[in-house]
Amino acid sequence: MVFTSFNFLIFFPIVIVLYYLIPSRIRWCFLLLTSIFFYANVLPLYVILLLFVSLITYLFGIIIEREKSDSKKEKFLIIGIILVFLPLFIFKYYDFLNEMIFNFMDYFSIRFPLPKLNLLLPVGISFYTFMAIGYLFDIYNEEIKAEKNIGLITLFLSFFPLVLSGPIERAPSMLPQFKSELTFNYEKAVQGFKFIIWGYFMKLVVADRIGIYTDVVLSNMEYHSGKTLLFTVLIYPLQLYADLGGYSLIAIGVAGVLGIKVRRNFNRPFFATTLSEFWRRWHMSLISWILDYVYTPLSFAFRRYKMKGVLLTVILTLFIMGMWHGATLTYLMWALFQGVVLSFEAITKNKKFAFEKKYNLSKKWWYIAFGISITYILFAFSFLTGGNRHTFSEGIMAFEKIINFSGSIFIDSPSNLIFIILGAFILLLKDFKEEFFSSRLLFFNNKLKIIRILSYSFIIILILLIGVFDAGQFIYFKF
Amino acid sequence: MEKSQIKDELDNIFKKIFNNETLEISENMSANDVDNWDSLSHMLLITEIEDHFSIKFKLRELNKMKNVGVLIDILSSKLN
Repeated sequence: MVFTSFNFLIFFPIVIVLYYLIPSRIRWCFLLLTSIFFYANVLPLYVILLLFVSLITYLFGIIIEREKSDSKKEKFLIIGIILVFLPLFIFKYYDFLNEMIFNFMDYFSIRFPLPKLNLLLPVGISFYTFMAIGYLFDIYNEEIKAEKNIGLITLFLSFFPLVLSGPIERAPSMLPQFKSELTFNYEKAVQGFKFIIWGYFMKLVVADRIGIYTDVVLSNMEYHSGKTLLFTVLIYPLQLYADLGGYSLIAIGVAGVLGIKVRRNFNRPFFATTLSEFWRRWHMSLISWILDYVYTPLSFAFRRYKMKGVLLTVILTLFIMGMWHGATLTYLMWALFQGVVLSFEAITKNKKFAFEKKYNLSKKWWYIAFGISITYILFAFSFLTGGNRHTFSEGIMAFEKIINFSGSIFIDSPSNLIFIILGAFILLLKDFKEEFFSSRLLFFNNKLKIIRILSYSFIIILILLIGVFDAGQFIYFKF
Repeated sequence: MEKSQIKDELDNIFKKIFNNETLEISENMSANDVDNWDSLSHMLLITEIEDHFSIKFKLRELNKMKNVGVLIDILSSKLN
């Protein structure tokens, strides 16, 4: 059941009513059952994997905490992580590694082919796996006490608003909420519904409208002109933002209506002035997870190598991130591209800072606009190095076409193009206003109720009029 | 080693790493309060502190360092 499905529109109101009808001390049990039902509704068999990961997480949490010696704690942490990671590894990386090893051995004329599994990736598996690993790390780091109630651990990992696509939450913020009295809070509920409306707008109006265009172009790049490819490259980041950003907002909103606060996932990413700042605003729950549980341990381990160690860590971290996005070589190229730019920014950081201070640039609007544009273009073009749609050589070919600026622009349907521009304009305008003029020109937070209602009605009408209701899938479900 | 002495010595290390002679550290100070204190300079800072005091941190201690006060506490427990 996805958030944009008709089923969800029936499911969610029923959940809200039942949830607030039953006594508050057993609401977490109801959430657990609802979450299992929600997940089973997608693929019944894979509930077993979710329960397996929950059991391992529960057991190893207790074992790590109970162990006295540091080295043993570390050993159990590693065993726990390996066990939790095992299903994800088998489902996502087995075929990829199998093929790589086969090709490598084949080069030396050694052939021991293992069977290809071709397994269907369980939805959301990397999200709950990451949450489970984070939990074990947090216990090892003594950030939290091991949870003694396996039901709460299972709820933490399977909580239905987050289970399919995140945000990737942390046990220290979620478990206390599930344990507390879950009472109805009017403000939280209203805020939740507001997030849901924006989320649907981003997903159905912006992402799926752009998707209609980019799908056509990206699946047949060789037939399209340089101008068309340039336009596609430039709007594709908006599609990704509206897709996952919209999904996350719906998830945060749904959790909010149930009285659970969930961390935000995007912070107006397209107003970052450097790529490193961009990555602190984009898919923040994933990035901060990677920062805490991958980057920090790695950079700590390599700290003796000073700058070289830092660069190695950045590239390794991005390599892991690329692998997460997709077990293909094109994603590794994408990660390498990001790594090179980020390393360059890291090396030149102090000089840039001094330069900006000397000429007093950091508050100048044209300097900020320049930084924002460069960052956006770098991010947009990084997808030409790879991504899920095309090979590296196709990307190079597309880049050549863009440089030649050939042909005329392809327009599938003028109305779709107008809707794309309208949707993207509203989304970016909202972000722009919040970034630079957060307390002025209020529509959605206006003091007057009538203006708030009119503003949201306008968005709802747009969703109903130009939303795409048959696109169905979220890009990030594949993870 | 006294906490006040640790703090004085840390003060010099901070000035050096963040390239800022006017920087004065305080117990409540955290990465948010200092320009350029990011994950990168953090690790350079940690290595510099390790070298200066001839100690080695554990990953868990690193994760607990939410502000300068905690850092001083950890250092003082390691040095005494």
